[in-house]
Amino acid sequence: MLRKKHLLIASAAGLLLAGTTFAQASGDTLVVGLSADITTFEPASVSSRDNANVVRHIFDTLQSIEGDGSVVPDLATNLAISEDGLAYTYTIESGRTCHDGEALTAEDVAFSFNRAKDPANAFTGNTPGFVFSSVGFVDAVALSDTEVQINISAKNQIAFGLLAEVYIHCKDSYEKMTLEQAATTPIGSGSYKLESWMPGSEVRLSKVAEPGNFQNIVYRIIPEASTRSAELMAGNVDIITNVAPDQIDVINDSGTSAVQSVQGTRRMYVGFNLSPEFAAMPGGDAIQNPDVRRALQYAVDVPAICSQLLNFPCERMTGIVNPPNANKSLPPYPYDPKKAEELLDAAGWQRQADGTRFTIRFQAGRGRYLNDENVVLAVAQYLSDVGLKVETDIMEWGSVYVPLIRKRNVGPLFFLGSGGALWSPLYDMTDLAKADSGTNYTHWNDPRWFDRWTDIAASKSPEETRVIIDEMLKVFYEDGPWMHMYFQPDFYGVSKRLNWTARPDEKVYLFSATLN
Amino acid sequence: MWTFIIRRLLQSVVVILGVTLISFVALQIGGDPTFLFVSERATDEEIELIRKALGFDQPLHIQYLTYLGNILQGDFGNSLSYRQPAMEIVLGALPATIELTVFSMIFAIGLAIPFGVFAALYRGTPVDGGIMTLAMFGQSIPNFWLGIMMILFFGLHLKWFPISGHVPLIMPLLQGEFLTAVTNIPKSIYYMILPGIAVGFYSLSRNARLVRSSMLEVLSQDYVRTARSKGISERAVVINHALRNAWLPVVTMVGLEFGFLLGGVVVIETVFSWPGIGRLVFTAINQKDIPVVQASVIVLSVIFIALNLIVDLIYARIDPRVKL
Amino acid sequence: MTNLADTIAIAPVTRSNFSRELRRAGRSMVAAKWPLLALAILFVVLVVAIFGPWLSPLDPNRQNIMLRLAGPMAPGPNGATFMLGSDALGRDVLSRLLYGARVSLLVGISAILVGGTIGTVAGLLSGYFGGWIDDVIMRMGDIQLAFPFILLAIMFLVVLGPGVVNLILVLGIGQWVTYARIVRAQTLSLREKEFVEAARAMGDSTISIMFRTILPNIVAPLTVIASFNVASVILAEASLSFLGLGVPPQTPTWGSMLAQSRDQLIANRWWLAVFPGMAIVVTVLSFNIIGDWLRDLLDPRLKERG
Repeated sequence: MLRKKHLLIASAAGLLLAGTTFAQASGDTLVVGLSADITTFEPASVSSRDNANVVRHIFDTLQSIEGDGSVVPDLATNLAISEDGLAYTYTIESGRTCHDGEALTAEDVAFSFNRAKDPANAFTGNTPGFVFSSVGFVDAVALSDTEVQINISAKNQIAFGLLAEVYIHCKDSYEKMTLEQAATTPIGSGSYKLESWMPGSEVRLSKVAEPGNFQNIVYRIIPEASTRSAELMAGNVDIITNVAPDQIDVINDSGTSAVQSVQGTRRMYVGFNLSPEFAAMPGGDAIQNPDVRRALQYAVDVPAICSQLLNFPCERMTGIVNPPNANKSLPPYPYDPKKAEELLDAAGWQRQADGTRFTIRFQAGRGRYLNDENVVLAVAQYLSDVGLKVETDIMEWGSVYVPLIRKRNVGPLFFLGSGGALWSPLYDMTDLAKADSGTNYTHWNDPRWFDRWTDIAASKSPEETRVIIDEMLKVFYEDGPWMHMYFQPDFYGVSKRLNWTARPDEKVYLFSATLN
Repeated sequence: MWTFIIRRLLQSVVVILGVTLISFVALQIGGDPTFLFVSERATDEEIELIRKALGFDQPLHIQYLTYLGNILQGDFGNSLSYRQPAMEIVLGALPATIELTVFSMIFAIGLAIPFGVFAALYRGTPVDGGIMTLAMFGQSIPNFWLGIMMILFFGLHLKWFPISGHVPLIMPLLQGEFLTAVTNIPKSIYYMILPGIAVGFYSLSRNARLVRSSMLEVLSQDYVRTARSKGISERAVVINHALRNAWLPVVTMVGLEFGFLLGGVVVIETVFSWPGIGRLVFTAINQKDIPVVQASVIVLSVIFIALNLIVDLIYARIDPRVKL
Repeated sequence: MTNLADTIAIAPVTRSNFSRELRRAGRSMVAAKWPLLALAILFVVLVVAIFGPWLSPLDPNRQNIMLRLAGPMAPGPNGATFMLGSDALGRDVLSRLLYGARVSLLVGISAILVGGTIGTVAGLLSGYFGGWIDDVIMRMGDIQLAFPFILLAIMFLVVLGPGVVNLILVLGIGQWVTYARIVRAQTLSLREKEFVEAARAMGDSTISIMFRTILPNIVAPLTVIASFNVASVILAEASLSFLGLGVPPQTPTWGSMLAQSRDQLIANRWWLAVFPGMAIVVTVLSFNIIGDWLRDLLDPRLKERG
């Protein structure tokens, strides 16, 4: 009996001892709590934002785009674009190396690009899937040790920004690795290298070059919002992403940490699907009429949704592009349900005996955007206030909603967000590059928008382009296929010990973070 | 007995085939996963290429037969999102789940026996009332709620326990790093306590009631009364006679208990950031990562079947009335 | 799992038998007090479930996002009061709670009915005919038991989408094996009993023997298990809601209300969790108490399997 007691005391002491070794952030270690898992370190397979945020610390890019949209050199010191706009020649800084010591030359840059495109590898990440298809990438050729030429198939004013997203690595090391090795043991070119990776749990990076103020960066995967907030407030984590809006005040009151709210660049909208199949559906016929679409703009109180459900005061968006590039002459639609009802009456959709004007299905995915489920329900409430009978259909995001979206087969009303950028209005507008673009989920085909793209391609000066853009944005504002909502705010919980500023483009780069 | 084991093993093959077929069909309803792996700007041609590369261009029955053929050669396919062998990923996540499940099973059964015995011995007293009230609540509280409340109270407020995370125990053992494993033990258990309780509390409550009622039954049996009348001390009666018979129903539970605890694990692994198979498979289902789902389902079924076989064998050993 | 059948001594159910049993049940309930209270609570819950729409002070789906997350007794829209507070969309918690009784109970009881019916029919067929029918049915049961139920539920709900009917089907199908095994075991032992032989000799059809002669004698243990299962189904619904796979977000259930409170707990908005939580606890508790009592009543030696 006595023996047992001793054992008990010993194990209790053991527990106490263990208690002092909390997994804590320390002077040379920065801990970040992420909401989604990291799935790969293969540069050409990275596709999610969280994954890219980690991998960007391991790989350098040719140029970098800052939070404010300005372009700064990274591996490339200079960029020259040919007359016809089809050849981009980058000058690579000499003396750079990869983590295994191999010198990084123009040949390696060309290899990084061509490898991502190689069909034998069947990569589906951001580089081949988004960047290359957006710019019409042809090939990359090393002209000398320091000069590399990227060839694209059509003139594109935003190609430089997109090419800046491609991760650069060395040729010899990657030629030796199998695809599986490349996915787990990257040999990078950036200032951090991968120390260890436990899928579903944590990623550890350690510093090998400048820039960077912390010797170690640890990413912990914490899917549950309350758990993330608790870890932050307890001081175990320095930065958390995706703070739940209703937990912001608690974190701010904790004294140990504060929430940084940034208006992001992701454009959130309610789309009107105008395709012929949907025109045959209840409500699908009504929204064919631009007057009805405009009426519904007045029915929804977007600032109230922002301040209440997102805990972030916002100004309603006026179109498809981010505010710095918007057409400044367009005021946001005000919340005016009376006007909405008048316009609906005028458009021929009077209230029936039961108070309903028309029935319409509203589809959405769940768990992808900030508080999406509640935002959708709130919009449905506003629409039913002006006499619509809204059938809300909220689905599993990945396996159900995304396939519908990709087939452009969702609606007649649907809720979606589209990643945007500050550095060019054209980047944002490219969603609707052609009426049959894969990203034109609305099937909108107004020639006053789509015919203007040839004008933009032919335009001689930025000023001339801007005039065309403003005219297009006006059409979009008045008769477009989006119910304008808001730019999604991003919330980062940041420990008081840390000096770090969040960017508006969802990029969490830690190079400049310092201790207070 | 050997014929029994062989027959059971043969049946298991049928069962596992059925299990893979069900999950295969379920995940293919509503279309193949190609769309989840192509960019929004991909052309139809590119989508077709990717579909082919992922192997979803074949008719469903061919895909399934190909899959079975590959399994026989030990190839469980590559995860669609991790692009690595699916079985490796699943086996990498399994140890964390086993740690959590075993811990909560020990918690649920280990505490249930004393709780149940005490409640039975002190039937009708406040001890019994207290334990049974707790057990009733335990059977009425959803585990995720209990988990979040414990994080907030014991983790954030009192700071007695870590809020979330996992210190590996089995993994270093398997990798041959015995020293790491041994030094990890206290910390590992420390991190297991809150999630373990959250997973196991329902089972603890149920088992405590089970032990109590079977104990009461045993205490009313003739042989116990005889033993008492012979003047054997109450303690000896309880330990030698009553307890030995009372825990039999608990043994039969162990096999089914595992499947049950696993259900709680999916939820609790999310709440406590536990890098186990429950969260892995939930994410994989949402992303239609079919190879990972299949591999997980196979692994879990095999464990489940093996456990139940072992339980049956043990039961046959301790209860002579059961013939295999 | 066949020990259950062996432990119950079975006498054929007859009419006089039945009313005598009923009287015994009544006396035992009054004597035990707790079951009586539990029954009273369930009766109240049932009344709320049926008359909820008339009892609710406000429309449970009417949002007021300007009045969201108001505490209990806070003023609501148009002079009304949020007696139990409002939720993240400014909906009245009390009204949702009252409406939620209906859906939660509907899901719990229907799932048991679905699972119980499938399981009973399968068990009767399996036990009565034996042979390959028995083999096929029991093998299907093994497959399902080897498949962690939660995975099956997640898989089908992800694909089929959340909805009350889908939820009932999935939760019901998750239960059938338990019933099938018990019914099969009981049927096996009843098949050779004299009163079954007698029915057979009198030329009753197979269906009549299975459902009129055998089934009534199995109903008792089934009700015990069903009353425990309703409780676990209500909890399973809460867990699935937590994973986003329960009912659609407009539909109030206690489980989904509790699941929706997850982000609010850290901010101490207790009313969002406590009231639906209490509703679940009280109801589940009542079902468990009734189950305990039924089991003791039917056969004191019948083991608990809730």
